[in-house]
Amino acid sequence: MTRDLHTVCPEGELPDGTTRLIDVDGIKIGVFNCAGTYLAIEDRCSHDDGPLAEGTFDPGTCTVECPRHGSLFDLRSGRPKTLPAFAPVETFEITVEDGEIKLLID
Amino acid sequence: MNPPETTTAAVTVPPLEPTELAKPNAGAKQAEREAIKDINSDYKEKFGFSDSEEGYSFKAPKGLTEQLVRDISGYKNEPEWMLEFRLKALAHYRSRPTPKWGADLDQIDFEDIHYFVRASDKSEHSWDDVPADIKETFDKLGIPEAERKFLAGVGAQYESESVYHQIREDLEEQGVLFMDMDTALREHEEIIREYFATLIPANDNMLAALNSAVWSGGSFVYVPKGVKVEMPLQAYFRINTENMGQFERTLIIADEGSDVHYIEGCTAPVYTTDSLHSAVVELIAKPGARIRYTTVQNWSQNVYNLVTKRARAEADATVEWVDCNLGSKVTMKYPSIYLMGERAHGEILSIAFAGSGQHQDAGGKIIHAAPKTTSSIFAKSISQNGGRSTYRGLLEVAKGAKNARSKVVCDALLLDPESRSDTYPTIRINESDANVGHEASVSKIGEEQLFYLQSHGLDEEEAAKMIVNGFIEPVVKELPMEYAVELNRLIELQMEGSIG
Repeated sequence: MTRDLHTVCPEGELPDGTTRLIDVDGIKIGVFNCAGTYLAIEDRCSHDDGPLAEGTFDPGTCTVECPRHGSLFDLRSGRPKTLPAFAPVETFEITVEDGEIKLLID
Repeated sequence: MNPPETTTAAVTVPPLEPTELAKPNAGAKQAEREAIKDINSDYKEKFGFSDSEEGYSFKAPKGLTEQLVRDISGYKNEPEWMLEFRLKALAHYRSRPTPKWGADLDQIDFEDIHYFVRASDKSEHSWDDVPADIKETFDKLGIPEAERKFLAGVGAQYESESVYHQIREDLEEQGVLFMDMDTALREHEEIIREYFATLIPANDNMLAALNSAVWSGGSFVYVPKGVKVEMPLQAYFRINTENMGQFERTLIIADEGSDVHYIEGCTAPVYTTDSLHSAVVELIAKPGARIRYTTVQNWSQNVYNLVTKRARAEADATVEWVDCNLGSKVTMKYPSIYLMGERAHGEILSIAFAGSGQHQDAGGKIIHAAPKTTSSIFAKSISQNGGRSTYRGLLEVAKGAKNARSKVVCDALLLDPESRSDTYPTIRINESDANVGHEASVSKIGEEQLFYLQSHGLDEEEAAKMIVNGFIEPVVKELPMEYAVELNRLIELQMEGSIG
């Protein structure tokens, strides 16, 4: 299985509590800095397939709230913590190399 | 409330046009009308009265402001997180348009509503301590009598807050909690904070956002592991003032292996101007638990009844919604069940009666999100005198929910050409081994049925009543006997005070 590294941005450009959206081969992904930990989640709410990562990000609980109907997603597991969403979304591994935040995608 | 997502074309079923051969005789039509002409005909005498507002603790002026939301939270001495929740919900509410996909809500003037009315200063545990005129109202409605006869606990809400709450001592000793939501937030903040709005977030839909901003009253029930509450818990909601908005919030948690039946009822005075009732109800059935939630809704016909109800059933748990909609000007309500654990089971039984000037837009949603889950939806509606009933439903089998089984039946009885029935079912299946059945029918009382019953000695009117009762029997038989008897009487004749 091959794993590709995709550069998100230099580390300094994603401070604590901020989000960046990227598109990797048509897959929209949200990258978050949650209290110093970088987390990446599919930018898709499993309830209605609309955008997710643009929602309210809470670094305290590492969750993002879908802007349309309010489901809270755990950024570590991709699982919704509240209805109406019930199916998890994909999460992605993040690494930091040479001062750059990089996404690993299979 | 959110619409069950419609992917099929809406089907509007016109009233049946009789052919020359099948043309019903005048006697049969008369019998149909007699069978149900009196439904709620005496509502004004039985429930439509209003009490004086002299002695009210507080009545907010009409309209919704941020300051009012802050005041509501302050009156209730709420923790900071609840105030933040309310204010965030207010922002969501203001950013959303009024839904256009369902019943006609354009006539609602949201600024012409009193959003918080407090009739008395506190909730009592003895009817003797409830203010006299409020107690008299509940006496007329039969609530104290019902409590004595067959209930395990009763909550009575008058306007925005609870005026009475009581639970049987033996249940309290077993750790059962049954109280109004305001008290629950003060006395059990941790459990409320863990579960509140986890099924229906503040931004779920416009009416849920409104409720989340101004909620007051409602019930909190917690049943500990393994405890079975044998007799029902009941809450009764009464609106008194004109142009009132009632926004109760209910949360029921049945811990593992427990069992509880909760019944709610509601009535309001008859006014010529509109009132608004928008509740949010969340049910959580943990593994092996069972929750039955019965509603006998009989608001006066100036009330817009717009409700969001959602349940979550874990492994081997059961949730049942028994939903009877008789009153209101407009009801929009689609109780839903998310079957989240293996072998969870969900049932929705629904009756809607739409008379002149009424639109009952009801139904249910069931989502199979785990393997070996089962469900059924039985929806029955009756429309007469130009009334309109609508069934909106969603049956979904999600990917991974293998071996799911479900049956949906929605039947409509149309009693004259002026009335209307619509059906908007949606079925969404993402597993190839799902077993899902769907049946729908629209009918009128048949001549053959009438003839059969009359040939057994019943007169036309009795025969027609029996047919109507038989039509709704699958739902009515699930009510506690006292309510089934009363509901049958309503459909046959008139409503008695002990319903709800």
